[in-house]
Order: sequence, then C-alpha cells, then structure tokens
Amino acid sequence: MEKVSVFDQVESNRRKSVLLGVLVFFFLFAFVYAVSYIFFPEIFSVVLIFATVLIIAHTFVSYNYGDKIVLSSTGAKPVEDNRKYVHLINTVDGLSIAAGIPKPKIYVMESDEINAYATGKDPKHASIAVTTGALENLDRDELEGVIGHEMSHVKNYDIRFGMIVAVMVGLVAIVSNMILRSWMWGGSGRRGRGNAGLLILVGLALAIISPIIVRLVQLAVSRKREYLADASSAQLTRYPDGLADALGKIKKHNEGKMKVSEAVSHIFIADPNKSPLDELFATHPDIDSRIRILRAM
Amino acid sequence: MAFNLWILLIPGAIIAVFVLVLVYYYNRIRVLSNRIDNAWSQIDVQLKKRVDLVPNLVNTVKGYMKHEKDAIKMVTEAREKMLSAGNAKDRMKAEGQLSKALKTIFALAENYPNLKASENFKLLQEQLEGIENKVAYSRQFYNDSVLEFNNLITTIPGSWFAGGRPVKEYFEATETERAPVKVEF
Repeated sequence: MEKVSVFDQVESNRRKSVLLGVLVFFFLFAFVYAVSYIFFPEIFSVVLIFATVLIIAHTFVSYNYGDKIVLSSTGAKPVEDNRKYVHLINTVDGLSIAAGIPKPKIYVMESDEINAYATGKDPKHASIAVTTGALENLDRDELEGVIGHEMSHVKNYDIRFGMIVAVMVGLVAIVSNMILRSWMWGGSGRRGRGNAGLLILVGLALAIISPIIVRLVQLAVSRKREYLADASSAQLTRYPDGLADALGKIKKHNEGKMKVSEAVSHIFIADPNKSPLDELFATHPDIDSRIRILRAM
Repeated sequence: MAFNLWILLIPGAIIAVFVLVLVYYYNRIRVLSNRIDNAWSQIDVQLKKRVDLVPNLVNTVKGYMKHEKDAIKMVTEAREKMLSAGNAKDRMKAEGQLSKALKTIFALAENYPNLKASENFKLLQEQLEGIENKVAYSRQFYNDSVLEFNNLITTIPGSWFAGGRPVKEYFEATETERAPVKVEF
C-alpha cells in the first residue's frame, strides 16, 4: 500500500468533496434544463431560475445538514442517558483525545447487528453512531478498535466526502429514477421536437447508468479508506488485535439485515445490507483480508 | 531593457520563495509546539478529574470494605499528595501512586459481592477506568505530538529554520503504570 500522510488524505478528501459537489450540481442543472425544455417550454427561463436557486439551496443543505439526514435515515438517536452509555461515552472521549480532535457527538442505533459509522462535514461537526448490537457484543478492546476506526474517518475528513456521496448521490439516484418515469409518462403524449427526443435519450442513458455510477463512487470511497482507517485505528489504540477481534465478531454475528438505504451503506464499518450487486461491486473490502492485515501489524 | 528587467526579477523571485518557505516553517514549528503545550495540559485535566472522583469512591467503598482500612488510607493519602503537588510535573509524579492505590481497591472489591453489585460502585468503576484510559491516551497524544515536533526540527530542511530550538522531552511512563498490580490479602 502506498504511504499517505493524514495531511495528504485530508487534502484529497477536501478536493474530492468539492469536485463531487460541482459534478452533482451540474448533473442536476442539466436534468432540470432538459426537463423544463421538454415539458415547460413556455416558462422555460422561469423554471430554470427557480430550479437553480433550489439546487444551490440543496447543495448548501447537503453540506451543512447532511449529517442530520444521514443520522435520521439510519434511525440513530443521540445519547441522552449518560449512565447507561457511560462506557461508550468514555471510549469515544478517550479516543478523541488520542486523535487530538474535538469530541464527536454520540448516537446509538437500535439493531442486533454489530456496526458503526461516523459522519459530519469536519471534525468540529462530527457524529459517531454505534448499534446497540455492537455495545452488547463487543468487549472494551474491541469497541475501542471500532471507535478508533471511526475516529480516523473523522480526523482525515473521510466523513465529509462520505456524507456528500450519501446525500447528493442519493438524490441523483432519485432524480434519475424520475427521468425514467417522466420518459415513460411523457413518451406516449408528446411527439415531434427532434431535440427533445435526444434529451430524453440522454436522460434515459443517465437513468440506467446512474445507479451504477453511484455504486462505483461508493466503491471508490470505501475500499482503500477502510484499510487506511483500520491502520489508523491500530495506531490510536496501539492494539490492532482489538479491531481484528471486532471484525471477526462482525463476520460471524452479522446477517446484513440492517435495512438502511443503499446510499449510506458505504459509511458503515461493515456492509449493513446484503445486496445482489455485492457479487460484482462490493462496497466494503473483504473482512478476512482486513483481519489478516491487522493481525500482521 | 529586457536584460535589466531579468536582473531585478530573478533575485526578487528567489527572495519571495525564501520568505514563503520561512513563513511556512516558522508557523509549522509554532503550531506543533503549541499542540504539545495543549497536550500537556490535557493530561493534567484528566488527572484532576480523577482526583475529584476519589472522595466519591471512598465514600461508596467505606461502608462495604470495613476491613480494608489500609487500602482506603492508601487511596486517600495518594490523593492528598496529588492535591498538594505544586505544579503539573509534580502531579504527574504523584499520579502513579494513586493509580496503584485505585487498582488495589478495585482488585479487593472482587471479594465484596454486595459492593460489586452496587450501581453507584459500578458507575464509579467505569468512570475511573475511563479516566485511566484517557490519561493514557492523552499521554500518547502528547508523545505523538512531541515526535512530530522533534522530527520536524531535527531533519533537513526543518532544522535550518528551528533556530536552535531544543527537542522536546517525551513523557516517560512511571514503572508502577503498566505493571500488573499485586494484591496482598
């Protein structure tokens, strides 16, 4: 594996976040342009201006409140009962000290599966969510390994890119679905208009390609980052076996039935859903090879 | 004419680059040095939190562990020693003794099922263990910060800009720290 410093990772994540934001922005703009051109030619410019404002607002919301969207879509609840979760709070506090970053907000998800993720726009606005299954099944060292893994995602801004992928690409998937529907719906009614036919064709192509692109982007997000976060976790806890044991339990215990949206699955430490696409493009690296690397440290 | 311009431009560019590099290294050294100071005070913050929790623990334990006066006394003494320490450095020295005394208490608590079942005790134990970990982690962060700083000012080109700054000292673990606790019955 190539050697990368935390500084390089942060820079790369910032760059990629901007790039993805711009790409999605133009994709949405092109979509609105095409739709309004075909269906509302009379008020074309009004629709366009209106839509542009909406898209800018959406970009703003995705960046600033994307973490809230991700947290609520996974059913994560903020930790309020300090006594019940004192162990989790202590672990997160301790590792944020070790990583030298502010304490992230702590959330818990009701689920039997062992899983966790981190999200937010930067380390100052970060949240870590853990399943109740993880709290019940992992011992102190294992939980530390898992939290250390998430803390690394926070520190090197993986959380920003992951959040933008989840929220914006999730929206692109919805939009491309809409293109397909509008094509089916509009196709029978309106004919003629040579340009319109071309645009619809582009829309159709996008609708088919988008889910694959979403998957590919997630894939690019996940794999290398997971290995890097595993390694940084070991650096934080000074105990790679803790995370290795936790991953071993995840492999044995989890059934991949968390029922969270596919758009957010890439930010979890282990794939929360079993999907037919996994055979071709798994969003997460193979757990066995992750364990093997950790054991060799 | 063109020739004259170059004569001005080239030294100008070299000076500009030099100033930029100087500013970069000056700031970098300052940032890392401040981080070390901050990490140092982080350790102290955790140590103070632990000292604050000790009276709670003593009060909870006293009722149950009537025959362990020595162990309880050890904890109280270690705490007083930490309180009387003048500065952070002395506190960190006294800290090892408190660590040891607390471990003894928790080891002895294994013999008192009623105490172990008490919610209050469980919570205190978790909190003190958590702080113990945080002390270890804040030391680790301190040493990581020192390593980064020392690397910067002892390697080229950082050493050219360090202005003869001495390397920072690592936090050495006291011998009582990682050693397993011996409990005498």
